Amino acid sequence: MAKNKDSKMPHYELLFIIPNKYTEDETKDVINHVHKIIEDMGGKKTLDEFWGKKKFCYPINHEMHGYYSLVEFDLEAEKINKLNQELRMSAEVLRHMIVNRAPKTDEQIAAEKRLLEKRIKKSESKKEEPKKTESKKETKTTTSEKVDTKELDDKLNKILETDDLL
Amino acid sequence: MKEQLQNEKACYFCVNNIDNIDYKDIHTISRFVNMYKKILPKRRTGTCSKHQRQLATAIKRARIMALLPFTNQ
Repeated sequence: MAKNKDSKMPHYELLFIIPNKYTEDETKDVINHVHKIIEDMGGKKTLDEFWGKKKFCYPINHEMHGYYSLVEFDLEAEKINKLNQELRMSAEVLRHMIVNRAPKTDEQIAAEKRLLEKRIKKSESKKEEPKKTESKKETKTTTSEKVDTKELDDKLNKILETDDLL
Repeated sequence: MKEQLQNEKACYFCVNNIDNIDYKDIHTISRFVNMYKKILPKRRTGTCSKHQRQLATAIKRARIMALLPFTNQ
């Protein structure tokens, strides 16, 4: 059994952050460089996505923005350590994460698309609703909303404080 | 939001047939995080033990990649 498993290369997923000092055109070179490292080790690239510039949730090296890029590939398990080390040493990659995972089936991709469409529809309907109310009662809604958010925040704070004491 | 989660008794991931929780899917993961960005206990969210374990690792991975904050500033 073990031999059969070894014949199939495990599937990995790599997400890495490119620092903000590069321009968007220069990131292409960095991404190509990372892809080359994987391919030189005998890996097979199956998926590659570029998320673009995103804001971090906390500053990394005193910077708040970076470019995210995602690669999925098949690679021998022994070479992952080497890849990990190389990415850690390179100055072109701010941070990276390699995760072992099963390759996505067509059904999963279709299900994800459906979910995304639902979310987009929801967000659109939400955006449309307040606009209608605003046009009808311009002054009233703005004042009531402000009070509501303040009250809600206070309530939430109180509830959360009590929870933490427990 | 909190009330919604409290009333839910079924596991969100079991109901939606999600086998492996993806750490990049911040939209769903951020539902299971406190206002102070702490991971919510399963008694509050109703997630099953199997998925709670996966969720915890997913949130921690997302934090490392700066997709989610460690704490509220």
